[in-house]
Amino acid sequence: MQVRQYVIRRLLVLPLIMIGVSIIVFALTRFSGSPIGIYQHSEMSQEQVAELAARYHLDDPVPVQYVYWLKGALSGDLGWSGVSVAPVLDVIPVKLTATLELAIAAGLVAVLLGIALGTIAGARKDRLPDHAVRLFAISGASLPVFWFGLLLLIPLYVSWGLFPLGRSDPALFDEIVHVTGMYTVDSLLNLNLAAFVDALWHLALPAITLGYATTAIIARMMRSSMVDEVREDYVDAARAKGLSERLVIRRHARRNALVPTVTVIGLSFGFLLQGTVVVELIFRWPGLGQWVTSAILAGDQATVMAYVLITSLVFLLVNLLVDVAYAYLDRRVVLGA
Amino acid sequence: MLPAPRPSRLESARVRTRRARELTRETLRNPLTLGGLIIVAAFLLMAACAPLLTAANMPDAYQMPRDWQAIDAPPGTPGHPLGTTSTGGDVRYGIIWGSRMSLQLSLLVVGIAVVVGVTVGSLAAFVGGKVDEILMRTVDVFLAIPELIFALAIAAVLGTSFTNIILALAAVFWVKYARIIRGQIIHVKQNEYVDAARVIGDSKLSIYRRDVLPNSVTPVVVQATLDMGTVVLIGASLSFIGLAESGLAEWGVLVSEGQAGVISGKWWVSTFAGLAIFLWALAFNLLGDGLRDVFDPRSERR
Repeated sequence: MQVRQYVIRRLLVLPLIMIGVSIIVFALTRFSGSPIGIYQHSEMSQEQVAELAARYHLDDPVPVQYVYWLKGALSGDLGWSGVSVAPVLDVIPVKLTATLELAIAAGLVAVLLGIALGTIAGARKDRLPDHAVRLFAISGASLPVFWFGLLLLIPLYVSWGLFPLGRSDPALFDEIVHVTGMYTVDSLLNLNLAAFVDALWHLALPAITLGYATTAIIARMMRSSMVDEVREDYVDAARAKGLSERLVIRRHARRNALVPTVTVIGLSFGFLLQGTVVVELIFRWPGLGQWVTSAILAGDQATVMAYVLITSLVFLLVNLLVDVAYAYLDRRVVLGA
Repeated sequence: MLPAPRPSRLESARVRTRRARELTRETLRNPLTLGGLIIVAAFLLMAACAPLLTAANMPDAYQMPRDWQAIDAPPGTPGHPLGTTSTGGDVRYGIIWGSRMSLQLSLLVVGIAVVVGVTVGSLAAFVGGKVDEILMRTVDVFLAIPELIFALAIAAVLGTSFTNIILALAAVFWVKYARIIRGQIIHVKQNEYVDAARVIGDSKLSIYRRDVLPNSVTPVVVQATLDMGTVVLIGASLSFIGLAESGLAEWGVLVSEGQAGVISGKWWVSTFAGLAIFLWALAFNLLGDGLRDVFDPRSERR
């Protein structure tokens, strides 16, 4: 199948999956009871509450409520966020860009470091670098993200005060015009170096905390596919041609070993997204994760619903991108098979 | 010529035990796997002997005991070797009794997930057609939501309690197993011995039970071992966020209770409780990796 056809087909299936996700989450949230608590206050009379329920169709059966919800969602109305005291759709861009900035930074670190470490380990199988990387990788996969964050905070923030909490120094970001919502990018667009350094400084610890587990996953996959590639005949052929070991590894083995690693990168983006929930709590990062935890503890259904939908959508899109990248990298792949 | 008679039950059982012994020996040859097994055994021992290690708190052993004379005591305080929390909870007590909570959590979640997942996946692969299509599209929808986030939403709906964390995780984890077993069965079904059984006239159910399922379960075993660790990691994240009862003798709750103290230099509560979670997950990861190396014929160790 042609890459284009495949992408189009996947894009057509995407809304169906999203509708499936929304049905599951809607049924779930309604299972916990009517969301009316968020809209009413203690001085309302019985009649007023009933009127409120009727206005938001909360007195209808759940499937009918879902149809109303879907109609609203399709016309851009995702409900009222009780914890943010604003329409959900207005809050999402602000929170989403904060979370994406964190996830992308962590992802970049993880991809670069993971591929580098995996290459080194795979090329020197069963020697010291290999053992070190394996240990690093398996610890990363077992480390509770929130605990690792606290372990970093104890010396670097509490004892020595080297790193800050939160997202930025408000004084520096007073006059920054937010174009993208990502502070590192915005400060660069404003040509404000001090603000850029401040944004990076705030980003460093949460990104490292979030990225470690993903680095581990990528390094592990890269290592095992390097081990497979190094044994192939074409690698011996390249050596026989008289290429230096460095070139053999870089130009030949690593390029082919990247192919299976790419799929893991896509899947691990889900890992990054779910990791943001606890990382944001620990580092006081004002993103989607912090938003949804406060919403959950407050019983704010519209926010929870929107959050699950947004993360699933991002996750699905990233995986689609990865599959397409995979097809370009490896011409042998038959898409849709 | 007559076909060779089928091995009797006793004979095939003997072959199986011999094969199991071989695999065990091979698994334990890897020092990392052995290390994982030792840590797991230590945790099991700790969970089994919890009442002997520290006297159970009355009336509910899974609630942290409170020592109001020793609040925020650092490690090494007499009676509290690992220190206490800001409400006088003994960290050592929480870690020991917390191992029972983790064991319960992981066994229940993985158990339910395997049973449900294997049933759904087998149905899809064995019945095929429309049933397969419907079940697998449902699985696709479930897989579109990242695990922790899905479990978070479910646990939030059910209300804050540790039991609900177990239910939420089980509702999320079965999906993987359905996928794995379906793929395996479709692959195994192409083998000649399955055709042979069909020719002999075995019923579909007996083919499934005797020939297909036993030859499809190894990836499930590996995944289940790895998930014993993952489930505790994600469960601890959920209780860290605040979805378990506070005051519970559970590792995630302890890390969460210690978090506020970390800022003012009281590092021990979160550090020790987190260490327990880390070791638990590490042990099952090492064990699962070792099993995969032995079971997977394509694996690099051979």
